[in-house]
Amino acid sequence: MFLAFALITLGGAFALLIQRNAVQAGLCMMLSFFGMAGLFLLLANPVAAALQIIVYSGAITILFLFVVMLLQSHREEPSAHPRYIQKILSAALVIILALGAIKLVQSSKTLADIQAASPASDLITLEKLGERLFTDHLVALEAIGLLLLSAMIAAVVLIKKEA
Amino acid sequence: MSDFFTSLGVYIPIIWMLVKILAVFVGVMSLSAVLTWAERKGAALIQDRIGPNRAKIIGNIRLFGIFHLMGDGFKLIFKEDLVPLHVTRGLFWIAPLLAFVPAMMGFAIVPFGQSFEWHGHVLHMSVIDPGNGMGMLYPMAIASLAVYGILTASWASNNKWSMLSGMRGTANMISYEISFSLAVIAIFLQMGAYDPHEIIAAQSSMWNVVRQPLGFLLFFVCAFAETNRLPFDFAEGESEIVAGFLTEFSGMKLGFLWLSEYVHMVTVSALMVTLYFGGWQIPFVANPGPLLSFIAFALKLLFFCWMFIWVRWTLPRFRYDQLMFIGWKILLPIGFANLLFYAWLINKGVV
Amino acid sequence: MGVVVKKVDLTWLDRTYLWPVAKGLFITLKHFLRQILTTTKKRQTVQYPEMKRPVSDGYRGLHELKRHEDNSIKCVACFMCAEACPARCITIDAEEFGDLNTLQGIAEKRPVLFQIDMLRCIFCGMCQEACPKDAIWLRKNYELSCKSRDEMQLGKFDLMNTYAEEDGSERVVPESMFKTSNNQLS
Repeated sequence: MFLAFALITLGGAFALLIQRNAVQAGLCMMLSFFGMAGLFLLLANPVAAALQIIVYSGAITILFLFVVMLLQSHREEPSAHPRYIQKILSAALVIILALGAIKLVQSSKTLADIQAASPASDLITLEKLGERLFTDHLVALEAIGLLLLSAMIAAVVLIKKEA
Repeated sequence: MSDFFTSLGVYIPIIWMLVKILAVFVGVMSLSAVLTWAERKGAALIQDRIGPNRAKIIGNIRLFGIFHLMGDGFKLIFKEDLVPLHVTRGLFWIAPLLAFVPAMMGFAIVPFGQSFEWHGHVLHMSVIDPGNGMGMLYPMAIASLAVYGILTASWASNNKWSMLSGMRGTANMISYEISFSLAVIAIFLQMGAYDPHEIIAAQSSMWNVVRQPLGFLLFFVCAFAETNRLPFDFAEGESEIVAGFLTEFSGMKLGFLWLSEYVHMVTVSALMVTLYFGGWQIPFVANPGPLLSFIAFALKLLFFCWMFIWVRWTLPRFRYDQLMFIGWKILLPIGFANLLFYAWLINKGVV
Repeated sequence: MGVVVKKVDLTWLDRTYLWPVAKGLFITLKHFLRQILTTTKKRQTVQYPEMKRPVSDGYRGLHELKRHEDNSIKCVACFMCAEACPARCITIDAEEFGDLNTLQGIAEKRPVLFQIDMLRCIFCGMCQEACPKDAIWLRKNYELSCKSRDEMQLGKFDLMNTYAEEDGSERVVPESMFKTSNNQLS
């Protein structure tokens, strides 16, 4: 199961990268998010899975696609020069960064804690999530709320025509 | 015989699961197929016409034209499946499935009858057993995926009408999804639960429609927008944009896109019954048992499916700006007000 | 001159939109129930092949060549109808016959060929008006469909039999004519 979902996620992400077509890329992104939701389910976190689908697949990707369709820019033009050096360099950079990230995660203390803890204790329900959010992470939640509110007001101000 | 069943032992849940999946799949499919007939017939009767009644099998059996259904099916299957040259091939093939599968999946969470005990196993009448932690979030998640069918179909068609329809449909669905969710969240708040089984159990004394009439109204209106039915069928809009995202489709691809609308209708009706009308509960009957409860659920479901048809043939389509106005400036504030009101009530300890 | 459109003032009840919708739903429900409760016979829709609307008195449908009581043709091949026909769809070939008896009619001329091209006919009824013998009638049958163009060329016996079933009269067939008169001219 893990392998299937991981493959869906990675395949979707990879397809997203090599896709020249913006809308198809968006659909690949949706696929990737879907796989990620599956991974959340395997982590005994159905709430996160559902929210992943609702928020990311259902809203954000759709909005991307919506904008792309509005702009009617369906096809990316192939670049004029092959730019081999840049390609090789970027690939090398990606590999180095990926290796570094893996190293970092493996050596981190949290991973050891997780391994020590009993695997897949019980389901994280909406109740538990709410409790956590409004007790442990209350400040962060409020801060995010304020941030979003200000972003929304800013968007309205930007859009608003000069009267 | 009973020995045989007890010897099945641990396999009973698995067998029951297979039976449930098959029953739900076949049930929803056939119900939505029947709905296509009901829509034609209902529209005809509402408009003082007679409607389909000529198809007959075995001599002269007509049964009010229900065999038109089979005729339609055969026609769609055997019709030439035309793929225009200008479409995006792969997506054009996937689109009907993308529309159909989410519509079908949503029903999985809905309990269509009372759970019962059988040979030492508690068997639940919903494809996904309770206590999965996903509860009513699942159908909401799946419903949010339904947009992709329309979006993909319209984009793959590579046709300006389809494109317009995709844009309108998408805007419609995502605008109303918010109010839809707000209505559902108000239910979560009051029930203190989000598992459909628990929500139904909590409605044994009083249906939620009595407790939250405004919430129901909100849900009801948004359900029409979510299923892309009149008065919110902006994705199709025959009079303005040919047939919208359906324009380039033919044969069974069209059939799937079409059927997905009806499957969606069934699913949303089922959610409506579960959330607001006590699911399989029968008023004043404490424990109806699996069969009776299933019948009660089916009757409620059929009523709401009929409601969709009834409203469709009563109201004209909104204008696009009216749609946006209602969605964002009326339903959304009402949704928030509803939610806050019940939160306040709960805080006061009234509910 | 512009038209002054009077704006309808909506009451607050109408503004809720829900009340008018409910009213509309009841109207459609009323229609639905009324239609479902009326029997097929009383409905406005006519179930066509089984039920037919009565056509008006002046209706001009498929032609019939009238016969005498002994089933011999009334037409005397005077060509008046063919002349009167604006669509030129009537073809007549006349023949003379000497054996005057009641079986064969009382005139000495009759059509050996009387063909109407139904694809050309415009059902104007001029032939009926022109006929001195009242031998061609346009009657009420309007179901003139067939599977090939040739079938639309109605000959003399076809035209004599067009309403045989409806009137309950005998079908006239060429053989029976031969049987009754062995000595007719070619």
